[in-house]
Amino acid sequence: MNKISVTIDEKKFDVEPQKTILEVCRENGIEILTMCHLKGIIDIGACRLCLVEVEGINKLLSACTTKVAPNMSIKTTTDRIKRYQRITTELFFAERNHVCAVCVSNGKCELQNLGYKVELDHIRYPHLFPQCEVDTSHPWYVMDHNRCIMCTRCVRVCNEVEGAHNWDVMNRGHQVRIISDFNTPWGQSTTCTSCGKCLHACPTGAIWPKAIVQGQLEKNPVMVTELVERRKMKL
Amino acid sequence: MSKKKLATVWLGGCSGCHMSLLDIDERILDVAKLADIVKSPVVDGKEFPEVDIALVEGSVTSDEHHREILHIRKHCKTLIAFGDCAVMTNVTGMRNYFDLKDVFETSYVHAISNDHIGLVPDHPSLLKLNDKVVPLQEVVKVDFVIPGCPPDADTIFYVLFEFLNDRIPNLSEAKKLKYG
Amino acid sequence: MNRHELQAIVEKAKDKHKQMKHKICVCCGAGCISSGSEEVLKKLQDEIKTRGLDKEIEVVPSGCMGPCNQGPLVKHLPENTIYQHVNCENLDRIIQSQIVEGKPIEDMLLFADSREKPFVNASEDPFFKKQLKIALKDCGDINPEEIEDYFAVGGYQALDKALFRMSPEEVISEVKQSRIRGRGGAGYPTGLKWETVYKYVSPQKYVICNGDEGDPGAFMDRSVLEGNPHRIIEGMTIAGYAIGASKGFAYIRGEYPLAIKRFEQAIKQATKHGLLGKNILGSEFSFEMEVRIGAGAFVCGEETALIASIEGKRGTPKPRPPFPAESGLWGKPTLINNVESFAAIAPIIQNDGEWYSETGTAKSAGTKVFALAGKINYSGLIEVPMGTTLREVVFEIGGGIQGGGEFKAAQTGGPSGGCIPAEHLDVKMDYESLTSLGSIMGSGGLIVMDQSSDMVDVARFFMEFCMDESCGKCVPCRVGTKMMHDLLQKIYDGKASQIDLDRLEELAVYVKETSLCGLGGSAPNPLLSTLRHFRQEYESKILKEA
Repeated sequence: MNKISVTIDEKKFDVEPQKTILEVCRENGIEILTMCHLKGIIDIGACRLCLVEVEGINKLLSACTTKVAPNMSIKTTTDRIKRYQRITTELFFAERNHVCAVCVSNGKCELQNLGYKVELDHIRYPHLFPQCEVDTSHPWYVMDHNRCIMCTRCVRVCNEVEGAHNWDVMNRGHQVRIISDFNTPWGQSTTCTSCGKCLHACPTGAIWPKAIVQGQLEKNPVMVTELVERRKMKL
Repeated sequence: MSKKKLATVWLGGCSGCHMSLLDIDERILDVAKLADIVKSPVVDGKEFPEVDIALVEGSVTSDEHHREILHIRKHCKTLIAFGDCAVMTNVTGMRNYFDLKDVFETSYVHAISNDHIGLVPDHPSLLKLNDKVVPLQEVVKVDFVIPGCPPDADTIFYVLFEFLNDRIPNLSEAKKLKYG
Repeated sequence: MNRHELQAIVEKAKDKHKQMKHKICVCCGAGCISSGSEEVLKKLQDEIKTRGLDKEIEVVPSGCMGPCNQGPLVKHLPENTIYQHVNCENLDRIIQSQIVEGKPIEDMLLFADSREKPFVNASEDPFFKKQLKIALKDCGDINPEEIEDYFAVGGYQALDKALFRMSPEEVISEVKQSRIRGRGGAGYPTGLKWETVYKYVSPQKYVICNGDEGDPGAFMDRSVLEGNPHRIIEGMTIAGYAIGASKGFAYIRGEYPLAIKRFEQAIKQATKHGLLGKNILGSEFSFEMEVRIGAGAFVCGEETALIASIEGKRGTPKPRPPFPAESGLWGKPTLINNVESFAAIAPIIQNDGEWYSETGTAKSAGTKVFALAGKINYSGLIEVPMGTTLREVVFEIGGGIQGGGEFKAAQTGGPSGGCIPAEHLDVKMDYESLTSLGSIMGSGGLIVMDQSSDMVDVARFFMEFCMDESCGKCVPCRVGTKMMHDLLQKIYDGKASQIDLDRLEELAVYVKETSLCGLGGSAPNPLLSTLRHFRQEYESKILKEA
């Protein structure tokens, strides 16, 4: 395949067309922060962490959904982008009730890691403290909406990889919630296969298995990616 | 260089941060060389005196805390929010999703240990809980924050040591950022 | 039905109208209906019949005439005399004096209560004099429920011209020449959009009409859909021919039941007359149309969310690129235009692109429909050439501020727009001028405010709207609008400090630049523009640091 030339942070790269900016950056060891991206499921550009500046375009573009184009000049680490990444992270923390101290994911959480990466020591905005439910109706798993960041990785993995479409989203704005079936308890779901893929896709401690205590949760989101890759190879 | 005055305060928290402070072990001697600890839950002292540095653990949960933090702000040069509760309410903030009345009734009336005869304490000499728990920054200006539940002893010592030597610490550069 | 058969029907419709001495239109737009125009229509029709006048006088329901707060309105043609606040009691006077004796009734004429000398011929009234109706032409003069009425005013002649005398390229070139820009608010050149979709090769393409008008205080699209649905069908069909689409969707918000009813009826009539369906008018071109009803989400006015909604999915936007022109409805190239843009297509084709481009300004050609609302004397629907000044719109057409109040600001573009203060009253209403003042043209809502309006409250109101209507997909819009709203509330309540104001400004720029779609991208506009023009109102509410 003919390669095209792009410039990322002042360095030139020859890359395959049809790839996204995110793929190209990751392949070349350039770090792009993401939350809603999970390799193997369709990208939606929702977390806005992967925004990059592209020369000649006055809007910031999400690296996960924008394809590279010949002679594209991309900047990933400008002050503006860093500032926005920090605000986005602050808003993630302020939106729901992220109490790391009591969370199963503590120490292994993608949201925590994001905070460290953007050097977030405190959140300047007031916490919203919404009242969120904890759905413990499933025999094996728990869905804790307090810790959900609405990345919808669970929704997409359930729909695209497992094909069950147990999860979806309801409401609008800051009232959005992940729902099981038509907003019924997870344990009563008629579509859930209890496969556990959502658990591994989830970047925080929102979905977790019951037999786990604080700080003990090990997730394996790469499992989803590998599964999709293996299926492709079989085809 | 004259010795600095250091205070540590315990507001709405579990005192775990203070336990972690004690975990700096023998390094407390290095601190003692540079500062006098003039007020602390572990040091008796009635009035909060003028100090250079105040390490404040816990969030603002009541009218008493509110008065206290305003007083501390007036009488210290550098105010450090010490631990997750002081920085972002953490566990103490978990009651914010509920009505205060429900919280009281759950603790004092419906708790099994009360045998269903419990009463919500209500005496004029008791402090009054605020409707919502807030971190220090929403009441006063905070000069530095040490997140963590609790922060590591190393981090605490690092921050103290830097301030006592008139340097501004940088947690992310020192790879000492941690929540939870 | 082929074009010759249609021509015969058109001639018959025209003849029928010629036989009539008078035509009386009773406004049956949603505004006049709510003040009782349907009863007036029924009574008038009965009266005309009992008096045996129905051979020479035709009484029809019509679409919106414009001065909505004077309704119910009754228009007497060809004299073009409009009567206001008509009800079943004072209707007798109209019948006796105007219809039987041919004498106009001075004290019932349009604006009789506010003008020293109201006009017998309404088109001489300043309200109409400054207007130029292209998109709204015929709206208010014809019965939207009868296709024959549309035929009689030259309806579907543009489609006939496009299909039989023009190639798709020529149609596109005519639209490009007209320099018309998207009337949904963003102002993207319509011709360029058509050309882009045309260039993508695909066995299936779609045309979508965006009728999900959701801005508070805006009712331009509703009035066109209710008052002249065939114009939209004609415009969409021409677009389908030009870009090579075979299917069109009219996405109309569910809150417009009358528009939906009339549009669906119009589709049936057009299909019956061979103007939709297979081999339109005997040509090679086939085009079908369907109405899709919005379920109340403001965000579905955003094109990618609208497409998701038509596909039956949750109405949330997608990042662009790819643009709908490349990959839209079900992944196929899709042309999506606003109602008002489609309403201008038939006149552009029937005359020509140059004719349209002669109206307006250098960069914004043609006319724009505005919905006047707020503290203005004559609220309602108007259409003016681009470049008309705000002063002309508010004071000449709109009759100034209610109760002799003082003009403070005009809000254009709804929750995505901004406020224009009094010192900029002479701003030309076109895309660039409004943008340079921190507002936008938007879809055409224009809310006039007087001294009693608190600008922080105005910003808070629009922020609340955006907060509630955010789809919740991306973080900046979902959480950012909530944070900004809470900060605005805090300022409004007098509890905020300078730090809060600084944070608010930082958040506003952040949300504007990072949001996924136009809703979040423009949600801070009312805030930013009021901060720009009325900063002292914010600062006066800020607590001074102790």
